[in-house]
Amino acid sequence: MAFIQGLFKTSVARKNIMAVTGLFTAFFLVIHLVGNLILILPDSFFPIEFWDNVASQHDMYNAYSHFLVHFWPISVVAWILYAGLAIHIIDALLITLTNWKAKGEKYVKSDNSTSTWYSRNMGILGIIIGIFIVVHMGQFWLKYKVLGTEHDLYDLVVGTFKQTWVVVFYEIGIIALGFHLAHGITSAHRSLGIHPKSIMNVIKYIGLCFAVVMAVLYGIIPLIIYFNN
Amino acid sequence: MKITLKIWRQDSPKSKGKLETFHLDGVEDDMSFLEMLDMLNEQLATEGKRTVEFDHDCREGICGQCSLVINGQAHGHESHYTTCQTHMRSFKDGQTIFIEPFRAKAFPVIRDLKVDRSSMDRIIQAGGYISAFTGMAPEANSIPIHHNISESAFDSAACIGCGACIATCKNSSAALFMSAKVAHLAKLPQGQVERKERIAWMVNAHDEEGFGSCTHTGACAMVCPQEVELLDIARMNYEYNRALCSTN
Ligand code: HEM
Ligand code: FES
Repeated sequence: MAFIQGLFKTSVARKNIMAVTGLFTAFFLVIHLVGNLILILPDSFFPIEFWDNVASQHDMYNAYSHFLVHFWPISVVAWILYAGLAIHIIDALLITLTNWKAKGEKYVKSDNSTSTWYSRNMGILGIIIGIFIVVHMGQFWLKYKVLGTEHDLYDLVVGTFKQTWVVVFYEIGIIALGFHLAHGITSAHRSLGIHPKSIMNVIKYIGLCFAVVMAVLYGIIPLIIYFNN
Repeated sequence: MKITLKIWRQDSPKSKGKLETFHLDGVEDDMSFLEMLDMLNEQLATEGKRTVEFDHDCREGICGQCSLVINGQAHGHESHYTTCQTHMRSFKDGQTIFIEPFRAKAFPVIRDLKVDRSSMDRIIQAGGYISAFTGMAPEANSIPIHHNISESAFDSAACIGCGACIATCKNSSAALFMSAKVAHLAKLPQGQVERKERIAWMVNAHDEEGFGSCTHTGACAMVCPQEVELLDIARMNYEYNRALCSTN
């Protein structure tokens, strides 16, 4: 019993859960990115003699999405991911509520120069990301996988990114994600208890690089599609 | 120099407080911040008014009794200084200075700038100690310990318990304060006996006192007069997970 409580209930345990679910989602981001980079690779990247039934970027992307839907282990991981995200959000809510309760009266004069704005606003960045995820899944996941109203995912994606508001909306969501990760990756390792200075100095750097690379690579996909069409 | 002070005044824990403005003339560069407040209080006393209450003791940066949030920063804008070690030369002539008490639910205001920080004592009482024979101090070399480890333990042990980390934290978390003690004792052989229980006792006490959860913004370590490191918090989280995983 004490073990179970220790795993979930204290201020330290809650941060552990935040960290594990956050890092798992971050790992998913890498896989998700690799698949979607197909969208911006040139056709010459997919020579007929090398890939079965694939002669273009269009074929390759649809083959990839077909694989995602029909290979069952992927579905299992996907459901773990949805659960992880849900736990991440619920835990964020619990932590935020406790932290609000812990606060005393507001300072009349405050000075925030001792920390970065994004580290103080993880919740707000998270809400932006959350809205993004809902719209994003509504646009593709729902239509292609759940309702099955769309069969050519490539056409659906390219069609969607022809709209200016969609591209702007994606850029906002992706920038928010970049900042969330810029603090989150390092913070998660600290939450999990990694404390040797030599290791944490490297992780701080890797976390920042990871955030920038994710934001830039995700960010250019809608832009390239938009300007190519 | 001439300064304007906006000081938090509050009669009792339950009453409503507000900022009160004072003008002070003839403040000297080499006065400490607390001496400047003494000067104000002397004036108020001569005028028959109630003096401004604030905490202090050693006035040499070692006891952790002085507090105050000065212009929005715990212990003022000079990093890693206590309020008592802050001097008026770091302010400008004619400047307006806001002085507020340390804020957190677990730090109720007693009067004016004085707050009750006994919640921190209760965290230490819960587990921030070791089992030891009382009596004569033991021979210092009877427990061999690597120099680097003793230095590192001392860096954590240097915490003076002022509470600036908590006052600064957007979550009012006492993580840095608590972790300094956890890290200090976990690094030393004397701390091993209660190592596993200590972390549970202290974290539970921390949560019961109503402190928040750390989100690693790092603001605490920026204001800490003793430069306790942010990584002590990671060390504490390690101790927590280690205790969870150990079976006995
Ligand atoms: C639905 C939207 C989301 C919300 C509401 C949300 C909210 C939060 C909040 C409030 C925190 C705690 C702040 C802190 O620890 O400093 C946090 C931490 C974190 N988030 Fe999110 N987040 C969301 C989505 C994501 C996504 C999509 C990822 C990954 C790609 C992610 C990765 C992380 C990581 C790694 C941490 C650090 C955990 C730690 O400090 O231990 N989050 N999130
Ligand atoms: S009065 Fe002792 S540390 Fe400032």
